[in-house]
Parts: sequence; C-alpha cells; structure tokens
Amino acid sequence: MKPLGRIYLVAILIFLYTPILVMMAMGFNASPLYELPFSFSLQWYEALWSNTVLLTAGLNSIVIAAITAVLATALGTMASVALSRRTFRGRSFLQLMLLPPIAIPWLITGTAMLIFFYWSGIGRGMHALLIGHVALAIPYVVLVVGTGFRTIRADLEEAAMSLGSTPVHAFFSVTLPLLYPSILGAALFAFAVSLDQFVISYFLATPGYTTLPVQIYSSIRKGFTPEINAISTVLLLGSMTVILIFARFAKPGDTRDKR
Amino acid sequence: MTNVKVHSVAKTYGTTPVLSDITTEFPEGSFTSLLGPSGSGKTTLLRIIAGFIKPDQGVVTIGNNDVTDIPVWGRNIGMMFQSYALFPHMTIAQNVAFGLERRGIKGAAARKEVDRALEMVRLPGFGSRTPKQLSGGQQQRVALARAIVIKPSVLLLDEPLSALDRRLRQEMQVELLRIQRESGLTTIFVTHDQEEALTLSDKVAILDKGRIVQIGEPEDVYERPLTRFAAEFLGDSNFLTGTVDNGAVRLADGTVVRTTSTLPTSGSKVTLAVRPEKMSIVSGPTDDNSLTARITTVIYAGPVLSYMLETADGLPLKLFAQNRDGKVLSDGDTITLSWAPEHTVPVGD
Amino acid sequence: MQNDRLTSASERGPLGPRSRRVLPSWVSTMVLLLPTYGWLTLAVFLPLLTMFVFSFMSATPMGKAPIVFTLKQYRAFIDQPYLVGIGINSLLIGFWTTLFCAVLGFLAAVALVQSTLGKTREILLILILLPFWTNGLVRVFSWTMVLRENGFLDNLLHMIAPDAGSIGFLYTRYAIVVGLVHGYLPYMILTCYIALVAIDDAIIEAASSLGARWWTILFKILVPLAAPGLISGSVLIFIPVIGSFMEPRILGGRVGVTMGTVIEDQFTQAFNWPLGASLSFTLLAVVLAIFATFSGVLRRGTAV
Repeated sequence: MKPLGRIYLVAILIFLYTPILVMMAMGFNASPLYELPFSFSLQWYEALWSNTVLLTAGLNSIVIAAITAVLATALGTMASVALSRRTFRGRSFLQLMLLPPIAIPWLITGTAMLIFFYWSGIGRGMHALLIGHVALAIPYVVLVVGTGFRTIRADLEEAAMSLGSTPVHAFFSVTLPLLYPSILGAALFAFAVSLDQFVISYFLATPGYTTLPVQIYSSIRKGFTPEINAISTVLLLGSMTVILIFARFAKPGDTRDKR
Repeated sequence: MTNVKVHSVAKTYGTTPVLSDITTEFPEGSFTSLLGPSGSGKTTLLRIIAGFIKPDQGVVTIGNNDVTDIPVWGRNIGMMFQSYALFPHMTIAQNVAFGLERRGIKGAAARKEVDRALEMVRLPGFGSRTPKQLSGGQQQRVALARAIVIKPSVLLLDEPLSALDRRLRQEMQVELLRIQRESGLTTIFVTHDQEEALTLSDKVAILDKGRIVQIGEPEDVYERPLTRFAAEFLGDSNFLTGTVDNGAVRLADGTVVRTTSTLPTSGSKVTLAVRPEKMSIVSGPTDDNSLTARITTVIYAGPVLSYMLETADGLPLKLFAQNRDGKVLSDGDTITLSWAPEHTVPVGD
Repeated sequence: MQNDRLTSASERGPLGPRSRRVLPSWVSTMVLLLPTYGWLTLAVFLPLLTMFVFSFMSATPMGKAPIVFTLKQYRAFIDQPYLVGIGINSLLIGFWTTLFCAVLGFLAAVALVQSTLGKTREILLILILLPFWTNGLVRVFSWTMVLRENGFLDNLLHMIAPDAGSIGFLYTRYAIVVGLVHGYLPYMILTCYIALVAIDDAIIEAASSLGARWWTILFKILVPLAAPGLISGSVLIFIPVIGSFMEPRILGGRVGVTMGTVIEDQFTQAFNWPLGASLSFTLLAVVLAIFATFSGVLRRGTAV
C-alpha cells in the first residue's frame, strides 16, 4: 500500500504543478506565439520593464495589498480580542456574520458592491477596491488571530492584573507580545488574499486604475504575448513566498504555554 | 493592619445564586482554606476578594480599607493560579519583577528584591532562565515568588498545587507553609483537597451551595462538624439517626447512644455523626456506646484495615482500625463495636 | 531603606492613580467590534441589500427615468428559456468538478495519512496547499498553455506518436472541469485530511488484525469516518464553482457559457443590472439552501 500511496501523491503533485511550470517555462521561450521547440530567452522579462501598463497595475496591486494588510489586521485583531476574550449576547451571531465574505461566491459579492458603490456615490477605483479587499481579508484575520488567542491562557492577563496591571497594560505587556506571531501571520495572509484577489477587483476597477490580476485578465481576453507569462510568474512566486513565510509564523508551537 | 473581611457578600449568575450572604473574617497573618466541592462557590469567593468578580451586594475590606469598588490592579494582592500563569515570553527574573515595575521599583532595587524572592523559594540563580526550561514544581515556586515579592496585603491561592503530582505537592505544601510563616502574609487558599486543607491551615472554611457551613480550626471542624455535609466532606463519617430520650439518643432498634454534646429537647429527631476511626472492635462488654454488626467487606490497606459493616437493621457502617495483628476477621463475621460518648456528635442537616 | 519604601508602598493600599474606575466592559467591547462590523456592513451587507432591491427594478436606473418595481426579473427563467439550459450546464460543471475533487482528494488524503509521516507529510501538505493560495486566474491561464492546440499536451503526445493529431481540448467543457478541479482539489485534500488524521491508527490496525481486506477498510472505515470532511469539502467546492465565470471564459471560450458568465455579462456588457441582480440572488438562494442543508456537518467541520 505504502509505495502505491506515494506514487499517487506524486501524480497529484504533477497534476498540480505541471501547468504552472509549463506557464513559467513559456515565459522564457523566445516565440511570441508560444511555438516550440523551446529556445531560451529573457526578452519577455526585459519587455516587462518597459510595459508601464503592467508595471503600474503591479504597483497598484502591491499598494492595495499593503494597505489592506494593515487595515484588515488592525480591525480584525480588535474584533478578535472581543470575540475571543469576552462573553456577550450575540457573540455567536457576530461570528456567523464573518462567514458571508468568505462563503458567498465573489461574483455575487463583487456585483453587489458594484451596484451599491455606484448607487451610493462611492464609485469605483482605488478606494472602492480597498473597501472590498479589506472586507474580504478581515474574516481571515479574525480566524488566524483567534487561533492564536486559543494558545494563550486567559489567566496570564489575570496574573498581570493581580500584579497591578490595568487591563490595557496587561493586554499590551502580556497578550500582545504572545499574539505577535499570529498577528504578523494574519497580516501576511491578508496581503496574499488581496494580492490574489481578482473577481472583486474586476468589478470595482476603473480603466484608469486596475490591479495586476485585472490587467492580466483583460490581456488574456484581448490577445497576449509571453510577457503575460513573465508577469504571472513574478506574481505567483511573490504570493508563494508570502504564504511560505506565513506558514512559518502560523506555527503556534513557540508561543504555547508549556502545559 | 491587613486582615480581610467580607460582609454579606452575594453573587448570582443569571438565576443561579453562587454565593449567598457570606460574612466572615480572615485575621492578619492567618492561613485559611476555603474547602468545598466544585460549584460550592469557593473560587467565586476568592475571585471576589481578588477583585476579578464584582459582588452583587456586600462589602470587601482589606486592611480596613473598603475595596469593593476598587479593581484588581488597585488592591495590592498576591495571587497564585492553578496553571502557574507565568509569562512565557519573559525570563524568570522579568516575571518576578513584573509587579515591582508596576509599583515603580526598577533597576538595581528591583534586582535585589527579585534575587531575595528567588532565594526565598529556593531557586537562586534561576533568574535568566525562561519558564519553559523549568519543571512544574519550579514554575510554581516562581509563581509564588512573583506573588510575594510585591509585599501584598493578602496572598490568594487558587488551587495552586492541584496540577502537581502527589510527592511534589507534599513538598510544596511544606514550602508554602514555611514561606507563609516567614512572611506573615494573610493567606486564603482555595482547595478541594481536604487533607491539604487540614495540613496547611490555621482555619478551614467549608463551603456548600454558596454558603460557609462551618469555619474554625482544623481540629475543631474535624472533631465537631456542625452539619452532615461538613462531617461527610471533611473525612468520613457514620450517621446514626434516633430520637432524643432523657439526655441520650434512642435508635430505631432500641439501642441507647450517649453523647457528651448538648442535645435538643426530648422527643426530637437527631442525627449523630461518628468518625470510623473512633470506633473499635471489642470482645467483651463495654461502658461506651456499642452496636452489633456483621462484616460485609474487609479492605486491607497496609497500615489501616477498613471494615464495611451492616447492622441487623441494614444500616451501613464503616470502621477503620490500626493493622496490629493482620486480617483476622473476615466477611460474614458478626462483631461488637464500641465508641466513646465524646466522639458522638449531633449534626444538623 | 529599601524595605521601608516597599512597606510604605504596600501600606498606601490601593495603588493611587490606577484605582480609577474603568469603563463598563460593554463599551470597550463595542469599540473593539464596531470598526470590523461597520466595515463589513458597508462593504458586504449593504451591497447585498441594495442588490436585492435592484433585482426588483424593471431597468437599470439612469438619469431621470422613473424607477419601476417589478417581479419580471425573477421570471427570467420562464421568459428566456435558454437560461434554463445554462443553469443546468452550470450545475453539471459543478457536479463533475465536485465529484472529481472528492474522489481524487479523498484518495490523496488517505495516501497522505497512510503512506507518509512527519516531515515528509508536512512538506507534501504545504506543496499541495501552496497553489491554492496563489492567483487562481494565473493558474487557469496556465492550463491554456497545456491544453491548446500544439500546446504542452500535444507536444508530449508527438514525442511518442509524431503523426498523431491534436488532443488539445481547450475551449471545451472538459477543459473547464479540468481547470476547476485543479483549482479546488487542494481544498478537498485538506478537509479530508483533517477528518482522517483524527482517526486513531489503532482502528485501522484493529480492523486489519481482524482480517479486514483493504477495500473493507476503505469503504467500511475510512469513507464513513472521513464523511464530514468529504461533505464540507464538497459544499465548499460546489458553491464557488457554480458562481465561477473566469474559468469558463478562459478555458471554455464559446462553449463556456454558465450562470457566472451570464451574470457577469449583465454588469459588463448588457448593462442590465436588475437582471444580473436577480440572477445573483437566485444563485445566492441555491448557495444558502446548500449551506442550510449541510450546516450541521459544516459546523463540526470548521470546529476542527
């Protein structure tokens, strides 16, 4: 059974990675029409440097992702403090209300945002993208930070208070330092969620302000060159790096109390 | 003076009363155990004294200051938790210095205090380690050092030894008692372990369903329980019910049992408690109280033999005897047992 | 000297400035929660509400034209019968994607639990989950490189059989399903894996010591025990798949018409927002019905 299982897992990995690797390889192939045989060339990466449309969209994506990470982490951590450490009426309802942004298909959320932002005068563009991205990232932040909370015993804050700390001081001197890895992890996660978000951005972007995935999508539909492969490779490696760093931070083992 | 008083303190969660009208005093320098089953309200009382819970009514005073409206962090208490609650991201020294820093004591002065406290709990030189590198018992000592280094008005212990294994627990009991005596701190100790309560305390308070049913010196509470619950919760007890008749108690089968305690008026029903170890097996007639019973089971536990008995009426009794001659009696034997009138204690329900 | 200071500190009793009364805790709880839920209201709940209202309008409100409310948008499936076919197409794509994910994902989870240990398993899990957290659009785009005529697949074939024709199947329904399975398979592997690691190895050992063959173990022990993972995985895959539009567009080309693409068209091409809104809400109703049906299993699934 064992070798069979391993062979099967390798097959799954081949299925998962072949298209990605092929796509990446084609970014280094000289033919603009993706013709084989393969001949190595860096021309598409060089062309990328002068493609201001893609570069601007890429920069927009990074800026949006960074702001989203900061805002969603701040807001989500605050909410997580209340949801994890306090008992109040309606708590489970509020926890349930975190699900719609994750569970409802983005197509529905995205078009709903489009209608509402248009109707209310908020409009589209960078601010609209930010409103949407932060809303999508918050539930993940609450989830990740909430998991972090579960590894920190509640009586640590009580111990600090018994020694003379106010609740605020106890939170900042005891809980926050222990929560720090989770918060950092949540921020990275929010960054990745925003960076990879396409559907919502697609409905909220304007011709003058797009993000990289939106720009890639319109290029794919209009006809494209391996430049798209090059920029996609950069995007993919970027978010993989962020997620791998996240995976290191999310390990709660270091912060857990011994018992 | 740092005595602690609670006056008609009550707490209700929803519709469940957790504490009802508790009034008691913890004298300066005393070691009092709050003993009771889970749900008796002992932890709630401790947390009200600490300031984590606000009582619905009543007053808490520490050293004659009314602290009822003062939050935990203003009460100058020292507290030990069941889980040690050491800050895992700080060194041992930082843990111990935490409370000092909150009181504005820093630098060399703080270091000196920390060193002294660590010496007191016999962990000198452990300051630069982290809690993870310490054993459970050592962590608990650090927690104690952290609680006493701030010179608290009162030391509150919330089942701090229950997470330790038996041998370590006994070791820590001795240590705790020594440090409490040395520091002279008024100490309130929550536990559900009766042996621990008897060993450590000057006073034991037994709680049941949100009330203190009895408070007094361990010997007092053990020898003269006031209620059936107190007699049963602290140690083991046999209960005999009968009617008061002419200064003695007549049981259902006609046996007359005498007691040195004051009895209610003739004709009233009464329950008597007798500790199993106060009873002995006799061969001849005796002037003390006596009963005849059949042995249902003998449990051989090394130094002690436990006899499970049953009277002709079907009343179950327990008798603990020193193991002098080994197991000579066996199941089914009928014996006569006797006990002194002064060990016969009338108890309320 | 030192001592004196300490004693006096303790005799001061309640520590001076810190004994100020605190705010009632519900106030701080509100302050902590308000930003998040205010934001979600603005960005998700109000939009959904507005869309619900729009779905009853006769036309996209523009200029000074009066707003007329109607139920006709919800009759679209009757008035425009081709939508029924598209709906069925979407459901079929959802069904096949979920089925393939369930079979492949469950087996992968079993293989992970049974054939790997420790560090190897950890690395394999990360490798499996990594693509899931990268850009879905880019991954779909990647498949066009493989499936197109004279693409990677054809080249692979021609290495073995130089004279064979093209087996590239880009712009077919199969291509859509392959792309979607590729996108959502890691999810199923994860949910099944979480359900399976919870199973005590001793159960399987006990079963094989009693003479159970591997298929008995598979169908009598592993499948029932992994059922919560299979179900929550299926729900969490089926829902986004029936709402997908970019995968059908890129991989399906002309045949890639689904509910998702129809809804997208209403917003980006036809500018018939009320119809788009009513179709979105119909889709949402399906989603909620699925959630309601499986809520018990999902709650247990997410509690892990």
